[in-house]
Parts: sequence; C-alpha cells; structure tokens
Amino acid sequence: MIKLSGLRLAFDTGFLLAVDSLKVRAGEVFAIIGPNGAGKTTLLNAMAMLVRPAAGNLEIMGQDALAAANKLPLRRAMAAVFSQPYLINDTVFNNVALPLRLRGRMDAAAVREALELFRIAHLSERNGRTLSQGESHRAALARAFVTRPKLLLLDEPFASLDERVKESVIQDLRKVIKLSGAAVVLVTQDQAGALTLADTLAVLVGGRILQQGQPQEIFSRPVCKEVADFVGVETILPGRVSANSENLCSVEAGGHTLMAVSGCAAGDSVFFCLRPEDISVSLNADAGGRRNNFKARVAGVAPWGLQYKVELDCGFTAQAAVTKQLVDGLGLKPGAEVYASFKATAAHLIKRNL
Amino acid sequence: MEFIIEGFRKALHIILSGNPEVLSIARLSLTVSLAATALAVLAGVPLGSWIAVKKFPLKKLVIAMVNTGMGLPPVVAGLVVMLFLARSGPLGFLNWLYTPKGMIIAQFIIALPIITALSISAMQNVDPKFYNQILALGASDRQAVWVCLKEIRLTMVAAVIAGFGRLVAEVGAVMIVGGNIRHQTRMLTTATVMETQMGNFDMAIAIGLVLLALGFAVNLALTLIQQNKVLAR
Repeated sequence: MIKLSGLRLAFDTGFLLAVDSLKVRAGEVFAIIGPNGAGKTTLLNAMAMLVRPAAGNLEIMGQDALAAANKLPLRRAMAAVFSQPYLINDTVFNNVALPLRLRGRMDAAAVREALELFRIAHLSERNGRTLSQGESHRAALARAFVTRPKLLLLDEPFASLDERVKESVIQDLRKVIKLSGAAVVLVTQDQAGALTLADTLAVLVGGRILQQGQPQEIFSRPVCKEVADFVGVETILPGRVSANSENLCSVEAGGHTLMAVSGCAAGDSVFFCLRPEDISVSLNADAGGRRNNFKARVAGVAPWGLQYKVELDCGFTAQAAVTKQLVDGLGLKPGAEVYASFKATAAHLIKRNL
Repeated sequence: MEFIIEGFRKALHIILSGNPEVLSIARLSLTVSLAATALAVLAGVPLGSWIAVKKFPLKKLVIAMVNTGMGLPPVVAGLVVMLFLARSGPLGFLNWLYTPKGMIIAQFIIALPIITALSISAMQNVDPKFYNQILALGASDRQAVWVCLKEIRLTMVAAVIAGFGRLVAEVGAVMIVGGNIRHQTRMLTTATVMETQMGNFDMAIAIGLVLLALGFAVNLALTLIQQNKVLAR
C-alpha cells in the first residue's frame, strides 16, 4: 500500500530524518513510536505528501508519489487525522461531509454512516466548535473515514484525550479499521495505544528507525539501549558475558553473576535489560525456580500508574513494578530487606560496542 | 455659533425634503465606491491568498510593497490614473477620464492593496496545520484556500469594511479623475469640499450627514453579514 526507501529530509536546524525502508500492507496497522522530536510527524507528513523529501522513493498504491504530476488523486485515496481535530466552523454533519464535497461526490447516507460508526450521529447538527474533546476527535475520525480511504494516516490522534475517553475511542477505531481493511499508519507516543492497535511497530529515535517488528518482540527484545529506554525497560546494566551454556548466559554485571537466556557468546560486552513487571519482590529467599535471586534493600517506593514502582538496591539498582496490595502486604518502605528474583527468560541482552 | 446651528437646521430640511441633487450625488458615490470595493475584493482576495500560501522568491519584499500600498495617498493614485486616462495617455482611447468608470479605476487602485494586504495577513494567520489538515482530506490547493477563507470570514468582511470605508471617504482621487462635474462625476466628498469652499455651509453639512449615514448603512449591512452565525462567547 505504501512503501518508502532511502527517504531523507533535512531541516535548517540540522535535524535529519533518514528512513531506509518502510512498508505498510493493506489491512495492516503500522505504528511509529518514539520520543518528542524524533521526526514522527515529519515522516507522517511526508507520507501524506504534505512535505517533500530531499531524497528517496515514496510509493503509494503502486505509484511513484514523488514523480506523480498530479498528486491530487493519490492524496484523495488517503486521509489524515492529527492530534488536534481541526474541525471547520460548521455543523458536525458538514464537517464530516467536507471530504465528499471536496471530491464532488456528496453522499448524505455515507455521512450518516460515518457518524454512526463513531457514535456521534446525535451531534450532527451541533457546531463542531462546541463539542467536547472526545466528541471532536470522533468527528475528526468520522471525517477521515467517510471517503473509505485506502490509507489512513493518524498523527497522535489521542494525544489530548483523557484515559477513559481515549480507551473508548481506541476501541471504536480498532473496530472500524478491521472493518475497512485500510492500511493505517499511526504515529504516537502512547505505547499502550500502539500496543492495542498495531500489527507492526517501528521505533523512531533521532530521525532514524532503530527497530521494527511485532510489538511484543520490540517490547521484550529491544535491539539497542535507545529502544530499550523508550519502551520502558527500566533496569539496564552494562556487563560482560562470562559463559554461555546452551544459550543460558552468565553475565557479570553490577557485582553479581546474572543469568539470561540469549545467543550472546562468552566475552561479549552487553547491556543486561529487565522490565519492571518481570521482577518479583518477596520477603523469603525462595525464588520459586527463578534463576536470579538477590537479597535487596528497598531504596524507594513511588506510585506508578495504578501500581507502585519499587527501587531496589541489590548491589546494582533495579526497578520493580509492584501492586499496591503487595506494597502493603510486605510493608515495602525504604530500608526494608527483601528478595528480588526474575527468570533468565525475562532478561534480555543487548550487545554493546565498546 | 449661530451659523452652525442654522446650518444644521437647513441641512436637515434639505435631507428631509429629499433634495434630488443630493440624492443623485449619494447614488453615484455609493455606486462608484461599491463597484470599486467589489472589484478590489474579486482581485485582492485571490491575490492575497495566493501570496500568503505560495512560497516564492522575494515574498517578504512583495508583502512589504503591498503593505506600503495600504497607505497610498489617494491624490497620487488619482494623478497616475489621470495620466493614463488623459487623451494623450496610453489608455486615452477609452475616453474614461472625467467619467464614473475612471473614478472606479482610481478607487479600485486605492482599495486593492488594502484588501490584498488584509487577505495576506488573515490567511497567514490560519494555522498551517489546519491548512495541511484540509489538504490531507483531499482538497486541491484552491479548495483548501476556499475552506480557509470561509473559516476566516469574520476577518475577510472586516477587510471589506475597511476597504469600503476608505473609498467612500476618499476625495483626492475622484476629484482628479472625475473632475467634480455636476450631474456626472460629483461625489459626496467632492461636493462637500466644493460647497464648503463656496460658503454654502448648510449644503455642505447636509451632504456630510448623508455621507455619514451612507457609510453607517453599508457598514451595518456588512456587520450583520459578518456577525451572522457567529458563535456566542
């Protein structure tokens, strides 16, 4: 559906967006995540043909989008939704009808259908500027979907929504995407949203795609420290593989020998990575079969979403996610003596170049 | 003091009795200034939008020139138009000197930079992201500009009000190009100047009042259009 290669886009500020290869198939939801200023929006704008790259190829629906003399037919095969809904100062109905009117094929039934898909039919006569945030985002999505685009580009479409509204919008959006079979490119900082919607994930940092693949793969097996940092790996320890016996590696890191399942060879310099939710905290020494078990001292306890994050000093510093129940039950507070354990399969090694 | 009160009393009498000469002068003033404003809108809004949206070399210089044009002295505009329309001038064959057509041209030249400059700034005030959003919904450049113009209609009507206000009050250009010929090119402003110079203060006051009333009526109409469907704040 959309294919780009060798894309280069330079800015006066010295920032360079360089994407070597990216491909989105029909029916696929492709999410691009990355920190602020990574170039996500620029990349999306290039796909929407709103900015012209300095070099590279962009193919949309089998056509060379950069060479096309008339870009309008290609632009009319897609639709984009940005973090702000940018509704026109008119009724919701006329807002959603706008793309059809621009194409000279107004179809009131299609407008009503789009309004119903996003559950805003009852607002159709209201002025778009008087809607709540959630409602106006639904209107923006309905407006993008009304033409049945083959390619849908979403730039932080939920950024300004509160959690509950966001969840319901995401659920509706997922339903509609599956129904429409459109290729979707979703740019977001919201990892949960990306995980819920995406078939494929790409991590963009500093203008480069550092990793792309299945979301679970990226979250549990980041290929480099930057990606690990961004996807929420909180414990990253530099270390060295001392032995590898049938992919069970012993890693010297943080003054301990840590066990991890990995293909790294003895002698490799690595980062030893652990997600906070993979670390168990308990009061007794029984690790329940986990290969890594350390005596630790609680260094800090802080709320973290619906859970708590416990900073553990095991000779190295590790961050563990713990439920409120457990914090209360174990009496976790700074200074408390506990045991921290994790499976060798939960740990992940990233080779590092010295 | 007395002559002022007396002037106003007589002026009211002239207006209320529907003096045919004052009426025909008012009609001509209205026609010329409205026509010039309309032409300036037809040319200036697309021109201003184009300048605002397009990237081209020396864009800032062009905008600076248009902005300067907002302050164009009407007498200079009138002089230039007169030189062009004069019998031996390049457009002398039109025979438009000392006609309402000539005055419309002169006033058009005064209003064009105003409408253009205000269109540029209004369009440049549109969030580029909004413009991109409209493009991303499948609009051509022209359609996107049209959608934006509808979004900024408040400001655009204000531009029309500013343009018309300048024209209906303007005296220098129509004096030079029209010549203040009775029953042909006499405007409310040129008539006021003439009557004042001749010491006919009652007539001058009457015409001045009509001028004010006319300006108010047109602006009221435009304001009603502008404020229609404006969201309450």
